[in-house]
Amino acid sequence: MTFAGTAAASTLDPTVVWDALVIGGGATGAGLLRDLARRGMRTLLVDRSDLGTGTSGRYHGLLHSGGRYVARDQSAARECIVENRIVRRIAPFAVEDTGGYFVTTPDDPDDYADAFPGLCAASDVDCQEVDVAEVLRRNPTLNPRIRRAFAVPDAAVEPWALIEGNVADAAALGSAALPYHKVVGFDRSGERLLAAKVVDVRSGTEYRVMAGQMVSAAGAWGGQIAAMAGAKLTMAPGKGTMLVFNQRMTDAVINRCHKPGDGDIMVPVGTVAILGTTDIHVADPDDWQITRSEVDELLDEGEKLFPHLRRMRLLRAYGGVRPLYDPNEAGTESREVTRAHVVLDHAARDGISNFTSIVGGKLTTFRLMAQDTADVVARKAGVTARATTAQEPVPDPHGGAKARYHWLGGRLAAHEAEGGGDAGLLCECELVTRSMLEEVLERRWPCSLDDVRRLTRLGMGPCQGGFCTFRAAGAVADHAALVTNDPVAIGDMAEQAMADFIRERQRGTQPIAHGRQLQEAVVTAGFQWGTLGLDSLVGTDARSDAQR
Amino acid sequence: MPSADVAVIGAGLAGLLTAVRLAEDGARVVVLSEGNGTLHWAGGPIDLGFAPRASDAADAVRGLARRRGHPYALLGVDVAPALDWFLQLTTDLGLPHAGSLDGGFGPLPTGIGGVRPVSVVPAAQAAALEPWAPGERLVIAGQAGFKDFWPRAVASSLARPEVWGGFSRPARVTAVTVEWPGLHERRNLNALRIAEAFDNPDWRTAALDITARAVASTGPGPVRVGLPAVLGLRDHPRALDAAEERLGAPVMEFPLVPPGIPGIRLHDVLRAKLRARGGRLLLGERVARVETTRRKVTAVATTAATRELVTHVGALVLATGGIAGSGLIGEPSGVIRETVLGLPVEGPPIESWLSGDPLDPGSLPIAAAGLRTDDTLRPVDPGRPTDGPLFDNVRVVGALLAGQQWMVERCGDGVSLASAWRAAASLSGAAPKRRATPRRAEAVR
Repeated sequence: MTFAGTAAASTLDPTVVWDALVIGGGATGAGLLRDLARRGMRTLLVDRSDLGTGTSGRYHGLLHSGGRYVARDQSAARECIVENRIVRRIAPFAVEDTGGYFVTTPDDPDDYADAFPGLCAASDVDCQEVDVAEVLRRNPTLNPRIRRAFAVPDAAVEPWALIEGNVADAAALGSAALPYHKVVGFDRSGERLLAAKVVDVRSGTEYRVMAGQMVSAAGAWGGQIAAMAGAKLTMAPGKGTMLVFNQRMTDAVINRCHKPGDGDIMVPVGTVAILGTTDIHVADPDDWQITRSEVDELLDEGEKLFPHLRRMRLLRAYGGVRPLYDPNEAGTESREVTRAHVVLDHAARDGISNFTSIVGGKLTTFRLMAQDTADVVARKAGVTARATTAQEPVPDPHGGAKARYHWLGGRLAAHEAEGGGDAGLLCECELVTRSMLEEVLERRWPCSLDDVRRLTRLGMGPCQGGFCTFRAAGAVADHAALVTNDPVAIGDMAEQAMADFIRERQRGTQPIAHGRQLQEAVVTAGFQWGTLGLDSLVGTDARSDAQR
Repeated sequence: MPSADVAVIGAGLAGLLTAVRLAEDGARVVVLSEGNGTLHWAGGPIDLGFAPRASDAADAVRGLARRRGHPYALLGVDVAPALDWFLQLTTDLGLPHAGSLDGGFGPLPTGIGGVRPVSVVPAAQAAALEPWAPGERLVIAGQAGFKDFWPRAVASSLARPEVWGGFSRPARVTAVTVEWPGLHERRNLNALRIAEAFDNPDWRTAALDITARAVASTGPGPVRVGLPAVLGLRDHPRALDAAEERLGAPVMEFPLVPPGIPGIRLHDVLRAKLRARGGRLLLGERVARVETTRRKVTAVATTAATRELVTHVGALVLATGGIAGSGLIGEPSGVIRETVLGLPVEGPPIESWLSGDPLDPGSLPIAAAGLRTDDTLRPVDPGRPTDGPLFDNVRVVGALLAGQQWMVERCGDGVSLASAWRAAASLSGAAPKRRATPRRAEAVR
């Protein structure tokens, strides 16, 4: 239950020359680390934050069947269905096989539905028209006025498990990943990048990492990395906003059968369901502020699929930034920019012989993106080995010996098999046990509770950390006591863990706070402040942090 | 057809106190509540008001009373008599409280290692009001594996002087982890389970022996013992006495994340008192509709699982709470709806319901939303307050009253006490005096 392949800073021996350095620890970067490692290239991956905190950790969780692209972009649709089948085969532990439907609501045109099966067939996307009554029976909150329904092999995919498995596979071959290490520049000599300047963001220490090949898998942040290398690359980041509901109102992915637009897909993910998305061009990939009007527009659209949506409890809103790349670099409207990925060899473009960027794409095709990039990088490095990532299974970081899909009841079944009961459950919403938490703390220390969350789903359920934050902070204090005897230091660490996690979990609630979730916010603040005196712990520091 | 002189909607502190006060006066009272009420979330302290520079709660109340639109502007004068009554009442009910309006604030540590100011607390927290003597230590003892109380985390946090604000503090803080008998199994190790265990005299003798040995192992000298707030539910007074006697030291119950055992104890004795006075408390009753004629409420229809219950009423008390208690709902449209009568609400615009940092209690402006009333707590239109009451026989108490930032001002319980006192006084004047009557069979079915 950890990013097993993540390495300590001691990995940064300044005399080591890596075969390749991958910048960016999303799904693509992790896939690239694995692919290069399997071709025999010892590779280091760095990310400015934890792995999977950028776009890979901020999307709706869909493993595309390709159905959303069949009308507009056949090659994207084909890539999706091919990779969908591969991901299901090599990493079933990260996939919940929910299946998906495209449904025709009263707002959707008949001619799109008429053409849809044919379009799917043309792109090799499995599609079968199914009985509307049966779909409604299985998904009773769905709009009863839908007229047609088509089943496709959509699924939900857990990005962090996928990343973790890819990193673990690479680590077993001598490669490594370093979270919280930010690239701030490069040493360049003529046409070559000699080393990357990397800062450990937690300690402030600067290192130089020498590598034969430098690869940017920084996605929406690719322009920033390219600029440091002296290359020109203009990304067209497109912000997508998603809404998280406190329950799975559907057990299958539901898409509207129309030309893809905003708020037309619901994905059941873990214990919740996610409505996506919007698509707005943003200048800064770190800008994903969400307004109430965006939320309203999403709900307006979402109600066409689920008429009672506004009566359901919204947990939070979050945004992710698509790493879109316009080959003309001309500033096209976001929804119109291709989702295809492009490998940019900066030797030809910018005269930097050992620098490559991967831009565009989507999580479903992360493995293909990595393979296409690794083909270029390996060729430049003179490595002739072929990709094996489509054939070899990714190790299951959760240790499941038998290859099987993730299923919602799996964690409960495992807990019951160990004796069950609620005593050891620190997060009742997501069934996170004390031993799961302690194990992650031991392997990842020092780490934040948000890092723990990505590996365990701590705090991701209906209470959004309202209760479990304090329990987790208690476990942090017990863990900190293993490394220091100073009670003040232990107190400070536990408090920091608590404060950061509360702030992180509440971050997306402001634009969606109404109804029961507004009540939850007030009740939670009421017992945290009123009963428990949280202000004595985080009072002034917290306020000055917020003003930064 | 059941009927009551007064129906109280809501079973939090304000609702129960209003009901008890009216029942004491001979009124036939029924409390209708959808849920258990917010006392189940309460940690023990009775918050009357606080401000960093206030010398005592009385000073804080006066400060808030000078604030335009604050409930204390209307009710501040009632806090003292209401508190006197509350202290006598809880003493009579075997759940005595310590502290006063003018005795100053003390620091009560909590189950997350924080410290909160208190002025009136149940006996099990009374030690918080006493200054720490030189050399006096705090020993924090907790059950191994109890997820809502981590002794080391609490002690480490409390080892930092700044957490205690300007208050007097212990010379040293130590944690001990104990294994109380029979609690190492995996199921139901929660505050309620442990509190029920402490109700058992034999079990608690064994548990306190273990605790006493652990406390003694921390060294000699005067100590106070901090425990999670689990010292018994129904037999709490004896459990507390036994603990202080066996440990030979003052005991302090630290509030925990909900459920709040101290609050449940208070709820239970108030409910018992209400019933002893012929009043009724019906749980699971959601108000479905209210019958009115002109400016009077005549009946309340509630729905439980299987049937509708119509209660004819002489008067109605809204003790439904604010946003937290479901008395108000913030609609996605931006309208703040009062849930029983649809009364007009005063509150911030939707864009500032929540604002700023979640770690700043001032970041919840919505908490101050509520109803405006006249001086007998009858609801008025906040836009036209001089037009007079919207209903003659309705009273508004507790957190539903507009203008309180209770998380910052720590005034929520004081507002509940004073408004219960005021509402009961004005309704007692109106309701017919009669002896308490036993509950009527048809009303409970």
